[in-house]
Amino acid sequence: MASIKKIGAGVLGVAVIAAAGAGVWAYQTLNTSRSAVADDTLTLAEFTSEDQDAIARGEYVMRAGDCVACHTRGAGAFAGGYEIATPFGTLVSSNITPDVETGIGAMTERDFFNAVRHGQGSEGMLYPAMPYTAYAKLTDQDMHDLWDYMSTVEPVSNPIDENGGMRFPYNQRLAMAGWNMLFFDNAGFDGDPEAERGRYLVDGAGHCSACHSPRNELGAEMASAYLEGGVVDGWYAPDLTQNPHVGLGGSTAEEIADYLRTGSDGTSVAAGPMAEAVEHSLQYLTQEDALAVGSYLTSLDASDVAPVAPLSLETAEMQRAADDYEVNCSACHGLAGEGITGMVPAFAGNTAMLSNPTGMIHAMLKGARAPHTGVLQTAAGMPSFAWKMSDAQVAEILTYVRNNWGNGAAAVDPAAVAQMREDLGAREKIGTPTN
Amino acid sequence: MTSRKSPGMNRRQALFSIGTAAAATGLATTGRAAELHGFPHETAMSADHLPVPAHRGGSFRILTDETDRATLKAAFDRLIPADDQGPSASEAGCLEFLDDQLSRPYGEGAALYLDGPMNREREAAIMGAAQVFATPRDRYAAGLPALEAYAQATDGAAFAALSPDRIDEILTGLEAGEIDLGDDVDGQAFFELMLQNAREGYLADPLYGGNRDMAGWKMIGFPGARYDFRPYIDKRGEELNLTPVSLIPND
Repeated sequence: MASIKKIGAGVLGVAVIAAAGAGVWAYQTLNTSRSAVADDTLTLAEFTSEDQDAIARGEYVMRAGDCVACHTRGAGAFAGGYEIATPFGTLVSSNITPDVETGIGAMTERDFFNAVRHGQGSEGMLYPAMPYTAYAKLTDQDMHDLWDYMSTVEPVSNPIDENGGMRFPYNQRLAMAGWNMLFFDNAGFDGDPEAERGRYLVDGAGHCSACHSPRNELGAEMASAYLEGGVVDGWYAPDLTQNPHVGLGGSTAEEIADYLRTGSDGTSVAAGPMAEAVEHSLQYLTQEDALAVGSYLTSLDASDVAPVAPLSLETAEMQRAADDYEVNCSACHGLAGEGITGMVPAFAGNTAMLSNPTGMIHAMLKGARAPHTGVLQTAAGMPSFAWKMSDAQVAEILTYVRNNWGNGAAAVDPAAVAQMREDLGAREKIGTPTN
Repeated sequence: MTSRKSPGMNRRQALFSIGTAAAATGLATTGRAAELHGFPHETAMSADHLPVPAHRGGSFRILTDETDRATLKAAFDRLIPADDQGPSASEAGCLEFLDDQLSRPYGEGAALYLDGPMNREREAAIMGAAQVFATPRDRYAAGLPALEAYAQATDGAAFAALSPDRIDEILTGLEAGEIDLGDDVDGQAFFELMLQNAREGYLADPLYGGNRDMAGWKMIGFPGARYDFRPYIDKRGEELNLTPVSLIPND
């Protein structure tokens, strides 16, 4: 039950606070008046747009927002059913096809705006696993177009009990009002979405901070560490600021655009949840939009993460790791850590892997796959090494690549590998007759 | 029919949308977006593709008779004796290797066709070679006592107690088909089976119980389960001194 979108995971405890904070605060959080621009008479089931331009634009909004990531999972396009494990129980993504009984066919455009931008759905408050926290920034026009697109979606009957797997009191949707009051900025985009196209895409539809910003104990993004990296579902979403040691400090807007549209900037290759995001969403961005995102990201102030002095490779452990690297890794990642352009990540000059090693441990234990995109179609696979390497061996080899070829990073702790092995249900190393 | 005519809409917002920009560019330095469906995202190997290591613990499961084991050890250690090139077959774990294999499908003859129709008397003529109708497990169960009985009958001593030269003589006789081990055992075929299994135990990956410390691989200069030899491909005729690597390394 992997879930990138464990987003609202830590969230729900706040529930109770809802009752307390009435007044203006609550009013601002719950106020949907800016979405009164949308029609409130015609339901989605009754409406089928014939405005082909609007539909095409709406599809692009849908791609940019990556709706399919959660809402298309085996039951048909947008028919929901994706199970999201949280510490409070299991959430299931909703059916957002125009089916009246089981989808959103009974919603008017106003209802749709309220759900997507304000987190207020037809069955009550949405859980913030749905990134309405970011979609709140979507312009009226983008929302109108998205509505037109959704009207063309094939209705699918697929009943979903979204929060039936949540434990009390987290199965009380009203609880989210409390969370919203604490953490949800209900306002629209606070700038000119045309002039600040990159920021609009990153903070709105792209909902990048959902993964790339760290979250507090209640599952809310920490604004003070905006896009400075976060752990999501056993993967690390790297620092996207201009930090030269662990972030995008050395990257140009063009390289970032390439990464978004193809899955690789020539050095690193998307994996895990980011591979899915590239595959289902980001590869659909126009070059202009991808460049806008790149330009915005390269304009961010660097986080204050300091460089780590490289560990010595002269120790017995690192010499052994060098042999292990040659035997197991070098065929694809290269003897000089150079990788294979556009297919296999390089280690040399790959700053994204020098901070939190969670994703690397994950890839070692479960394997990983590059995204399949229109440009880079190999979708090369990283095999799992769980069956042939112990926790100590995995840690050692990761420490080696993180401290070779000009890299410098903290040693990887075998205990972290052991924990991840357990969390992921990865198999133990095969026991041999001599150990 | 649309539902978007709404009085409060800001003109600027009406003109602006994510999609308009999409229509305007067409700059595509790169190809069309494409998604591939139906291929596995998981890359972990399924359990039945993984190697199955030898049992751990060192106790024998099939070769439980001490005399049988002594006979086998004596034969194996003449086929591959200890010398300055490396350890003997038994020192390298060939008995443990064989015992483990005999406890598995190999021992049961899972890959052999052992059912009829067949005419045992004529199979060898039809097939052009001696045919064996027993599983490896049964062949050792019959062959080792037969070998011991042969030594007792001819030399009045246990096979394992014979001199190396005498054992060589018997093995040579078996190989040549000149020694009769009785009706139930084809001596020549049994010799070939032991030779094959001794070699396998000496050279198989250590995870299967033999080739201890990769002694067999070190002897012949085999570098083991390495993934890629491109760094060495141009080093023809050079001593590479590569440390062999097991499929499941223990260091």
